[in-house]
Amino acid sequence: MNMPIVDARGLEPPEPFERAMEALADLQPGQQFTLVLDRMPHPLLRMLDRDGYRHDVSFRDDGAVAILIARP
Amino acid sequence: MSSANPGLAYEDTPPLSAPLRFFLTAPLFGLCAGLVLLLGDGVLSSRWTPGALAAVHLFAAGFMLQVMIGALQQILPVVAGVRFPAALGVAGSSHALLTLGAMGLAGGLAFGRPDAIIGGAVLLLGGIGIFLVAALAGLIRSPSVKIASHAPRDLRLAMAGLAVTAVLGVALALAIGRGVVLPLPLPQAVDLHATWGWLGWGGILLAATSWVVVPMFQITPGYPARFTRWWGPGVLAGLVSWSLARALGADGASSVLGVTLVLGFAAFALLTLRLQSRTRRSTPDAPFRAFRMAMLAILAGLAALSCNLADDAEHWSVLAGVLILHGGFGGAISAMLYKIVPFLAWLHLTQAGIRAPNMKKLLPDTPVRRQLALHLAVLAALVLGVFADSIARIAGLLMITEFGWLLLNMLRVLHNLKRARHT
Repeated sequence: MNMPIVDARGLEPPEPFERAMEALADLQPGQQFTLVLDRMPHPLLRMLDRDGYRHDVSFRDDGAVAILIARP
Repeated sequence: MSSANPGLAYEDTPPLSAPLRFFLTAPLFGLCAGLVLLLGDGVLSSRWTPGALAAVHLFAAGFMLQVMIGALQQILPVVAGVRFPAALGVAGSSHALLTLGAMGLAGGLAFGRPDAIIGGAVLLLGGIGIFLVAALAGLIRSPSVKIASHAPRDLRLAMAGLAVTAVLGVALALAIGRGVVLPLPLPQAVDLHATWGWLGWGGILLAATSWVVVPMFQITPGYPARFTRWWGPGVLAGLVSWSLARALGADGASSVLGVTLVLGFAAFALLTLRLQSRTRRSTPDAPFRAFRMAMLAILAGLAALSCNLADDAEHWSVLAGVLILHGGFGGAISAMLYKIVPFLAWLHLTQAGIRAPNMKKLLPDTPVRRQLALHLAVLAALVLGVFADSIARIAGLLMITEFGWLLLNMLRVLHNLKRARHT
């Protein structure tokens, strides 16, 4: 399956957050995407928890943070 | 993969009013420092004049401390996932104690009132204590997350520096006000208190915040990990060693360590300037340029401090204080406020499910650019004011305008936030 990737690195806040919100708005039940950021987005993770999204954080070798986000 | 967890809802992060009360009170202390310069006689002629002591504490324990504590309440949850217990209660009580404490301390120093000095210092210690205990409790409660940054660790080191500064401050207040005998001469104890304050607390906090904020808002490459890994612990270890050398009267060792600390802080400023030169921004905005000027002011202040090590003429220490406190911390803090406050307003609206306006609509560029230009004019007047009292008074007048304007710009964001809420 070709999983979409949203690369929001190198953008000034709040643009990465806005990109994530746009991708979340398009997400259908059962779908997932990977969000790539320069750093750990604690406020976004708390929002994902609140709204019932599943997420898995991993650190890449280049220091970026990749978050797999799924809508159950 | 983690699943929904209502206990981690972002309502746990401090409400907007928690940091904002600090950010809105802070400029009033800068304004009062300007008043002291305007109305006092020969305030900048020596670091020991009542006016200079009052102005320094209005700036450091008033303006800087308010912003730094307010920013930590916001940044610890975002950077380190810390959740403050009773966030509003902690913000309310620490804010009240810090505000009254800084007023009492500065008033006591200006008018030679020992009881006000002691009372102010104790209130400040109380406000700091409440904040530090809450932060510690939040750190213990926070989930253990692998974070690819040394910022959370260095924020803790800075908080240790704050605790040392506050305890030394109360000891000094008791020595001055009650004649309590300290284990070392008063000028040396003052040097320890001041150095722990500007470097152990302010310097490490500025650096730890920069590890995150500079790449994030100024779109620069990250600070090299081999630098951030050692810088904070290195400065703190150097500061402890320097303090011991000073206390034990080991002059040679304390001079070498003093120079090493100056070079260490200069390395942070130089590296920040180098990263800024590699920004991916096409046109640097006003806060970007203000942050760059703050780093240059810190380097100039460190040069003045180095001259003071070789030549004990009064003006070197006053120049260093003016350049590092107003030029360095004042500039960097203003630049950060102009990024943090609109961002918090934006986040607040977004979290409330309201379509937030563009950040530039929350705070337009022009008033920010003009206020930051005035900040530079004040710094130039302060530097000249070290040598001419009449110019120090002009610097005071300009400083009142500078901080009044900073407050107005913060209020402008709140006004636009309110408008967005009701449209």
